[in-house]
Amino acid sequence: MSAGAYLLELGLVPYHEAWDLQRSLAGAVSQGAIPDTVIFLEHPPVVTLGRRTDEGELHVPEGAEVDVVETDRGGKSTFHGPGQLVCYPILDLRRHGKDVKKYVRGLEEALIRTLAPLGLEGVRFDGLTGVWLHAPPRKIASIGVHISRWVTTHGYALNVALDPAPFTDWITACGLEDAAFTTIARELGRPVTVDDVRPLARDAIGEVFELELDPLPAEDGAGLWVQPIHRQLASR
Amino acid sequence: MNPALEEAARLYDAAAAELDLATRHCEVSAKHFRNGEVPRGAAHAWAALGHIREAEERLDSQARTHAGRSTVD
Repeated sequence: MSAGAYLLELGLVPYHEAWDLQRSLAGAVSQGAIPDTVIFLEHPPVVTLGRRTDEGELHVPEGAEVDVVETDRGGKSTFHGPGQLVCYPILDLRRHGKDVKKYVRGLEEALIRTLAPLGLEGVRFDGLTGVWLHAPPRKIASIGVHISRWVTTHGYALNVALDPAPFTDWITACGLEDAAFTTIARELGRPVTVDDVRPLARDAIGEVFELELDPLPAEDGAGLWVQPIHRQLASR
Repeated sequence: MNPALEEAARLYDAAAAELDLATRHCEVSAKHFRNGEVPRGAAHAWAALGHIREAEERLDSQARTHAGRSTVD
């Protein structure tokens, strides 16, 4: 049975603001003040370092206009930039099986299902978290998660239409020497935007985690969702 | 210092820190709503709510401790 969840489509958001928001929303989800929440956004150019990043992975050239941020997520270094669809699910895993490996496999499955309607077959490789195209192997999506009190933050980044050069020129992304990185637009040989892919990603994550995603109307004056807090306030 | 008082002080410090974070999210939320960015404004509003709940939990905890020690004749 699907559970109601919030869907936030935030557009272009600086990394620090989005990270801060995730941690705070995780507190709200953990407290039961809001239900599971899925965020879709893009970041301005930023290199993020995971907890397992090695020193040699970072080789950003001097003068490159990019922030470098040390994060609390798992995994190694990665690059985010406009043209990449980033998904941060804030899920209470006490409602999703309390199984971190299953959660990460779920994110991979959601990515594979996002790519399928576009005619791209995403695959997993043992020991390499993320989603790849084959053959030759080229990485199209990265995954890095953090879990505290069974509530998830961080998530996945799907390359839709951006220059993948920073993955190799600025960092040794994911700690993988000689790995190739690709994008949906490059694979399809035609322009594809994040706006084109987001509805597919939304459907896929909803299916995999059995969430009935309820987008917040972005129009001025539209009503906000009914929230658990409303019921709690009414009962006081 | 009396350990019980120090424990109470720590709880109030933690509550204050949560409320500071809630204040910051409310300010960012206001900015986004003024810019017509409804989802971003709402996201920060809910983030603030989470911190308020955390603060409330700490204050409730202190209240429970106090209630357990108090006597009513």
